[in-house]
Order: sequence, then structure tokens, then C-alpha cells
Amino acid sequence: MSDILFILEFAGLILEGFIMTVIMTFLGLAGGFVLGVLSALGDVYGGKFLKIIINAYVEFFRGSPLIVQLLMFYFSIPILTGIKWDAFTAGAVTLMLNSGAYQKGYFKGAIEAVFKDQLLAAKSLGMTFKQTLMHIVLPQALRIVIPPWTNEYVSLGLSTSALIVIGLRELTNISKSIAAQTFRPLEVYLFTSIIYLVWITVSLKVLDYIYNRVRIPGLEVTSEI
Amino acid sequence: MITLSDFLFLLQGVPVTLSISLLSFALGFIIGIPIAVVRQIAPLELTVVAEGYEKVMRGIPVLVFMLFLHFGLAGIVPIFKDSFISSVVALGLRSGAYQSQIFRGAINSVGRDQMRAAISLGMTRTQAFRHIILPQAFIVALPGLGSEIALLIKDSSYSFVLGVLDLTKYSDILRKATKSFIIPYLTAAILYILMTFPIANYLDRWGSRLKTKYGLR
Repeated sequence: MSDILFILEFAGLILEGFIMTVIMTFLGLAGGFVLGVLSALGDVYGGKFLKIIINAYVEFFRGSPLIVQLLMFYFSIPILTGIKWDAFTAGAVTLMLNSGAYQKGYFKGAIEAVFKDQLLAAKSLGMTFKQTLMHIVLPQALRIVIPPWTNEYVSLGLSTSALIVIGLRELTNISKSIAAQTFRPLEVYLFTSIIYLVWITVSLKVLDYIYNRVRIPGLEVTSEI
Repeated sequence: MITLSDFLFLLQGVPVTLSISLLSFALGFIIGIPIAVVRQIAPLELTVVAEGYEKVMRGIPVLVFMLFLHFGLAGIVPIFKDSFISSVVALGLRSGAYQSQIFRGAINSVGRDQMRAAISLGMTRTQAFRHIILPQAFIVALPGLGSEIALLIKDSSYSFVLGVLDLTKYSDILRKATKSFIIPYLTAAILYILMTFPIANYLDRWGSRLKTKYGLR
């Protein structure tokens, strides 16, 4: 454990890996947000056929490991479609699809938590369905969804380490090469763990702060798992 | 379509995947219950340790923990030179933190009133925990435990990075051998779904049935 400062030589590389990890997390969350909201709305208000499709999508991505999904998309899409894509694009798209499947469950719970009476009230005031959605349902649902959504942030952020299987140079992958290069795996992985831990802890505090600013007292949701 | 021989080849990975998941679940169970109980009744210092353990386990990727055990700690503790053991221990220690949280929620939902009632009947706190609170908390915890097993089955695929011959590894070998780029992974994904879905569903239903039977919320 002596001379832990050798790690500073690799500060640039580690920072590069950390930035990649954060970028992938945010891309996955953002894409998953759009997919999650749309499929939750489809599942709550859509027709029978749409519901079947959405649930098949959700079961597939929630029931199988992210690693298998990454390998599958990374290797098969170029063969099936002829599109050339790199680890970055393949990783981002897979994370979005994966996160969307999880976020759908949270959004569905939140949308259903907005009381049915409000929908009737909005209708009686002459609001269209789209207006009701934009001005009544979503503003409330997006607030109460924050606590379960926080779990998804943590879980997806930590899952980005799976991107190592398609060779993306994120924090875990870079640590692995530094560990192999320096023959000091113990210190390197310890240091990496601390980076993840600090990042997650700070993020949790920030999200908690945001939630407490925007939350609606008395309106909480227990998420549908 | 996948040929029968390829499919049978893939199936060889299933027992490994299941044993990693079930062993780490058992390890997490053994760790999780004491931590949950400690956080309820132990003195403050112990509670702080238990809380710290949970925070750390929930804040680092399980893959980094596996790599830490297998490549880092193996120099000091030789047993971690085995990639299977490193995977089970990493997943199990993290599962301990998750399961402790599941049990804590369940213990809280059973309520303090029953603890008071048991004490007023002359039971010690330990007896009350052992005979009154924990049996009920276990029923309330069943759906959560179901999701936890499903999570472990999926996350056991991280052991692929350490080179364990699990289902993911077999599908990767099959991809290289057959040059078929989607079928091996797709079949593996379906096999994973066939493992996670029934277990989670069964424990969920078992839990609801027992809850109704014993009149728990």
C-alpha cells in the first residue's frame, strides 16, 4: 500500500474514463426517459396491440442481463442492417433501450397515481386529451417519479461498467488497463471504487435536494416493480 | 434458427449461472438478516458500521468489486484467485446490503406495537424478534427477495469478465464458433428471462398468498 501517489500519474486517463462513464449514464438516462414516458403513456392509455408490444419490450430488457444485450446489439446490428457503428453508439443505444424499460415502470406508477377525478375534471372544463396530459398529468407525475427515478440513476450509473465487454474506454475498463500496466490492482481498484462511491453519493444528495424543492406534499407513489 | 446441438452447448452454462446466483443469494441472506436486526436494536456504533457497509456496497459497481477481489485482493487472500469464488463473494456481499434493506423495510412494517405486546408478555427483545417479528417480516419480504434473486441471476453475467464459464460466456464462445452474431446472444437472453421471470413471479405470489392468510398488510 506504500506510495499510493503513483496513481496520480494516471490522473488524466482516469478523468477521461470517468467523463466517459458520466456521459454514457446521462445519454442512457435521457434516451430512457423519452422511451420510458412514451411507453408508460402507451401502456396506460394505448390499445391492446400497443400494450402487448410495450410489455414484450419491457420484459425483454428487464429480464435479461445488460451484458448480453450489449454484446447482442454491438455485434448483430452491423450484420443485420449494414449500419457501421462503434462501441460508443452501440453502448449508448443499448443503455437507452435498457433504461427505458425500467423507467417505464416508474412512470406508469406515477401516471396512475395522478387521480382519475382530475382527468374527469379536466375533461369537464373542455380540455383536450393532449392538454390534460401536458398540463395536468405530466407536471404531477414527473415530480412524484423522482425518488424511484433516483434508484434508476444509481443503478444505470453503476451498470455502465458493463460497457467493458464491448471495449468502451469508461472508468472500469481504464482501471483494468492501468491495473494490468502497473501490477498494482489492489490500489487501482480501490481508487476506482472511491471515485464511483463519491460520484453516486454526491448525485444522491443533489437529486434529494431537487426532490425536496419540487415535491407535492401528500402525493407520493410506491413504484410498480 | 438455433440447432439442437448449439442449444445443448449453451445449456451447459445454465447450472453455473444458477449456482453463482443462488450461492450469492444465500451469502447475502446470511449477511442481510443480522445487519437488518443490528440496525434496529444494536448500539449506535454498530449501526453506523452497518449503515456504512450498505452505503459502500450500493455505491460501487459489482464488476469493480469482482475485479478488486479477483485481481487485487487475491495477492493477499489466495482463495480469490478462483474467479467463481470471487464472483460469488462480490455478488453475495452486495446482496447482503440489498437484502438488509429489504428486511429492514419488512421489520418496520410489522410494527413496534407487536414488539411492545411481546415484551409485556414477558418475552425478551431477542425472543420477540426470533418468534414474533422475524417470521412475519420474512413473509412481507418475499416479493423483494424474489426481485433480488432475479437481479442476481442477471448480474451473475458480470462474472463473464473474469472468465467464468457461465451462460454469457457460453453464448460468446458460440458466437465465435458459429459466426452467427445474433442467435447465440438472443437465445441466452431468452434463457435468462426464463430463469428470472418465474422465480420473481412465484415469490411475489407466494408472498401475497401468505400475507392474506396471516392477515398482514
